[in-house]
Amino acid sequence: MTATLQKKICMLGAFSVGKTSLVKRFVESVFSETYLTTVGVKIDKKTVDLSNLTVSLILWDLAGEDDISSLRMSYLRGSAGYVLVADGTRPSTLEVAMSLRRRVETDFGPLPFVLLLNKNDLREEWAVRDEEVQDLQQSGWWVRSTSARTGEGVDDAFGTLAERVVR
Amino acid sequence: MEGVPTTIAEQLQALLCSERAVAYLQVDSGLNLVGAGGQLNAYGLAGLRLGEQAAEQAFFLEGFLPPVDTPFVVPSMELPSGRAADLHFFLQDDTCLVVLLDVSAERDAARRIQQKAYDMTLAQEREALLNRRLEAANAALLATQDELEASRDALARAHDQVQAQAAELAAWNKTLEERVAAQLGELERMARLKRFFAPSLAELIVSSGNERILESHRRDIAVLFCDLRGFTAFAESAEPEEVMALLRDYHAALVPLIQQFEGTLDRFVGDGLMVYFNDPLPCPNPAERAVGLAVAMRDSVAALARTWRRHDYQLGFGIGIAQGFATLGQIGFEGRFDYSAIGTVINTAARLCEAAKDGQILITSRLATSVADAADVREIGPMALKGLRRELAVCNVEALKAA
Repeated sequence: MTATLQKKICMLGAFSVGKTSLVKRFVESVFSETYLTTVGVKIDKKTVDLSNLTVSLILWDLAGEDDISSLRMSYLRGSAGYVLVADGTRPSTLEVAMSLRRRVETDFGPLPFVLLLNKNDLREEWAVRDEEVQDLQQSGWWVRSTSARTGEGVDDAFGTLAERVVR
Repeated sequence: MEGVPTTIAEQLQALLCSERAVAYLQVDSGLNLVGAGGQLNAYGLAGLRLGEQAAEQAFFLEGFLPPVDTPFVVPSMELPSGRAADLHFFLQDDTCLVVLLDVSAERDAARRIQQKAYDMTLAQEREALLNRRLEAANAALLATQDELEASRDALARAHDQVQAQAAELAAWNKTLEERVAAQLGELERMARLKRFFAPSLAELIVSSGNERILESHRRDIAVLFCDLRGFTAFAESAEPEEVMALLRDYHAALVPLIQQFEGTLDRFVGDGLMVYFNDPLPCPNPAERAVGLAVAMRDSVAALARTWRRHDYQLGFGIGIAQGFATLGQIGFEGRFDYSAIGTVINTAARLCEAAKDGQILITSRLATSVADAADVREIGPMALKGLRRELAVCNVEALKAA
């Protein structure tokens, strides 16, 4: 007999890093080449089966902001964890992700999170240095390269975060 | 709605409810849904069950209940249905009311503006990235250009070096050709001169580089003639092969002696030989040399004659020597030049040779005086020689004096 939990997860990151595409790939297993900016927040739901329980992840896909001061912290209220997303072809988005993480930790304390370096299908345009990723991993961060286009690493990332938020 | 007539307030309320698809949820302190109403269908909230957990039925409430502070607004929340709503949380008695107001139109308007702004920012980022790549490519091109220029300079230097080496090689070739031509010329001259002179003399003339000595001139020379006695009769009776074999042995015995004494071999005529000394290169004591050669010839032919006699060849050997001025130089025409001597002294030596008997070396008395220290000479007396108007005092060389 498995119990069902419901956990709120926020998607955070600069604009156009692929947050909405990652959710769409995870929830609907599809990918759209068309970029459509998110206004406010988009809500979606996906059930994940863990070893001894099923978790319903309520995914809050927040509008991307480069200026973190404009982030509406009200969206994060009650969040069990979050997904930081950066674009591996735009190093500046990794800096935004790290700033967002500091802001969230300041307001909400240490919540479980994972860092995804998205657009791994564009390897020839990849601009984030491997050394930087290794440094983050050594400091205890769970970091993965993902591709919403191919699905690479997506289920693994959400599954890992689901396990972390129910721990 | 202070100051607004009730009818207008009611109209506005009705307008708000229809335009904004107003709906509400009411949640008690146990987080159970205790009330719901309005246009719930517009938000996909049909079929709600009162008395059950609110967040399990309206999952967007997860994390917000119970509300920490009110009133509280969650703006522009897009539900899976695509509709966007503002969520207003406020308290009423012991319950929390959540009112949903449709903001899809505002969301769409904001999206259009935001989309353009983000597209523009992305385009600028891409342009900046392309510019950086262009600059990097340009820098790489400039570096390549520098390398190419360096390579071109190195190539030019290598080319100059090769050109210089080629010029040097050409100069060497020219020098070599000149040396080969000079050596060929020397070889030709040597071959020509060896016909007249002993090899050592020919080399001397060539190395001196002065062939003017071959031009016509007068000089005091000692002339030697020799031939075999009885050769004409022998040649008439013997087979030509025998004659040629005999002459080969005869010349093979005499010519090395001529070269040894550094005489100039003027000509062969059958068994006759003419040799002279002191020309074209001067030599000390030409008369003594001529006499020394004559004695050596006589001894050499005497040895041959012993063999001839075994073959029953009756041949003798006579020599005549004279000294005096003669005219010497090249005679002949292009392609057939000889070096020869002309003058009475030649005739005198030739006549003395004719007059000599087997084993005799006839010389003029003048010449006998010249070689008195070197040879034992016996006076024969005056002889009338063919072609000479006066008789000539003649001597025979008996032997050389011991050194």
